[in-house]
Amino acid sequence: MSQKSMSNKTALSDTRAPAIRQWLLNYASALFFIAFVVLWELVCRVGKVPVYILPSPLSIVNAFFDVEFSRWLEHLWATLRVALMGFALSICISIPLAIAMVRSEFLSRTIYPALVVIQSTPVVAVAPLIIVLMGTGDMSRVLITCLITFFPLVVSTATGMLETPEELIELSKSLRAPRYRETWQIRIPYAIPHIFSGLKVSITLAIIGAVVAEFVAAEKGLGYFIQFSTSFFKIPQAFAGLIFLAVVSLVLFKSVQWAQQWLYPWSIPKNKR
Amino acid sequence: MLKKLTKPLLQVTALAAALSCSAMTLAADKVTFQLDWLPGGDKAPVYVGIQQGFFAAEDLDVKIASGRGSTDAVTKMATGQSDVGTADIGALMAAKAIDGVPVSAVMSYFSQAPHAFFTLEGSSIKSLKDVAGKKIATSPFTSSNAFLPLVLKENGMAADSVTLVKSDPGALSPMLMTGNIEGIIAWVTNVALYEKQAAEAGKTLRVIPWTDAGLDLYSSSLLAADKFLSERPDVARRFVKAFAKAVQFTYANPDKAGADIHAMVPEVDAAVAAAQIRSINGLVYNEVTSKDGLGALTPERTALTWKWVSQANNLAADAMDPEMAVNRGFMPEQK
Repeated sequence: MSQKSMSNKTALSDTRAPAIRQWLLNYASALFFIAFVVLWELVCRVGKVPVYILPSPLSIVNAFFDVEFSRWLEHLWATLRVALMGFALSICISIPLAIAMVRSEFLSRTIYPALVVIQSTPVVAVAPLIIVLMGTGDMSRVLITCLITFFPLVVSTATGMLETPEELIELSKSLRAPRYRETWQIRIPYAIPHIFSGLKVSITLAIIGAVVAEFVAAEKGLGYFIQFSTSFFKIPQAFAGLIFLAVVSLVLFKSVQWAQQWLYPWSIPKNKR
Repeated sequence: MLKKLTKPLLQVTALAAALSCSAMTLAADKVTFQLDWLPGGDKAPVYVGIQQGFFAAEDLDVKIASGRGSTDAVTKMATGQSDVGTADIGALMAAKAIDGVPVSAVMSYFSQAPHAFFTLEGSSIKSLKDVAGKKIATSPFTSSNAFLPLVLKENGMAADSVTLVKSDPGALSPMLMTGNIEGIIAWVTNVALYEKQAAEAGKTLRVIPWTDAGLDLYSSSLLAADKFLSERPDVARRFVKAFAKAVQFTYANPDKAGADIHAMVPEVDAAVAAAQIRSINGLVYNEVTSKDGLGALTPERTALTWKWVSQANNLAADAMDPEMAVNRGFMPEQK
């Protein structure tokens, strides 16, 4: 073998190695996921783990397809509807509340402790009372979802607004800008990254809220479906519902990210755009 | 000319009046039925009543709401969210003695107690007496836990002779099948489901019902909100009549009943529901029903039920007259 061809080979492997490394890096999460699922399947098969303890990924997939797709859509829609309504209601309440708290020391001192008390009360314990008071309709489920989701949004919005540089506030005051312009043109834009962090936390909590509500009273929904499957010992089916729920949560989380990229691209750090 | 116009106008008016009259007669009475848990074979009668047209024949439009336990069901009837439903009469009696809830039992459904010990073939627990000194798993909120000390006492055993391990209801079956625990407390309404799991694990289930150990009482019953009974007595009477018919049909035709519930709740397997219905036939049809008739709530057995319930809930025997929890004015006619 000539020396030239040898050196050619080394050069090729030198360029290939970083390319492979880059490829591995790009698909790291997918590869990790595949490896995890394969390992899970192997553990179940080799260890002969009973299905009622840990169903294998394959049995979960089969259980997923055993349920008619239209039924999945019905349950999905029931959960999604409540989660999104609760999320929207919590946006409508949280952002004005945060603005009011930032603008008024009095409101901040009176409302904030009340919010902490509401947040510290386990919604799971209050949920049955809400159902008794407001009935088994969508409204009570939406309220339960809203109670779980609103706090991170209030805190993040208020924090963002308070982090506005003092110089800018002083400048606006020296130019005699009215308070509403200070809020809308200086404080709110500064709070956008914080608001979106709050929204990302809240949207995943919205799904949890909807499921908590379904555990207490519902005739449809993914939470109800999981509870139902467990009560009939259909563990793979319950897992299928659980995974479906996680995927929905992930899609909603991503949707908030996309909304931020689309509406306020400047609010995302340059290296992450 | 005027006559020419008036005639068709009169005809149209007459037709509209006739249509609205027929629409009025078509509008059936709405009734909300409360289950005490999720749909399943033991809850089949109300689904059968709808699917077989028993309620429609009585001009009733029945809507079903699932519940999360007997107390939840009683609360929903008391607060007017539901008109009528099935739940444990013991939960009603306790709620009535403590809070005077405006709900009454109108018909019995299970005239025997569903509580039982479940164990596997090969276990040393063969009868109730064998549980002494054993660790038994149970779910934290089941009413069985309150009855256990009484049943043990009835059989000459100390209340603390059994060590209870509280666990999530979903974990009980895996604990039993894997041998983590020798016995569990469950309801015979779930025998079919546990048997299926045991078969999958290559094991055989053994059931020791507490009825055999002397626990004699009414359990799941048809309850109704007092407001519903006083404001719409005719609707209530028709409902109870149709419900009784549905109970009879369900236990005479378990397969059809399984198919009926599956048609309304596709998640419930028709075959599993049918197996559940067959396995609990004894709760509905037994020596009590042969003597008193289906659905009866005799003063003697009602008093006996209260005796057990009051002791289980640490209530004074005179905290309530058990007759207060019962309204026999809506009982279906016995054939």
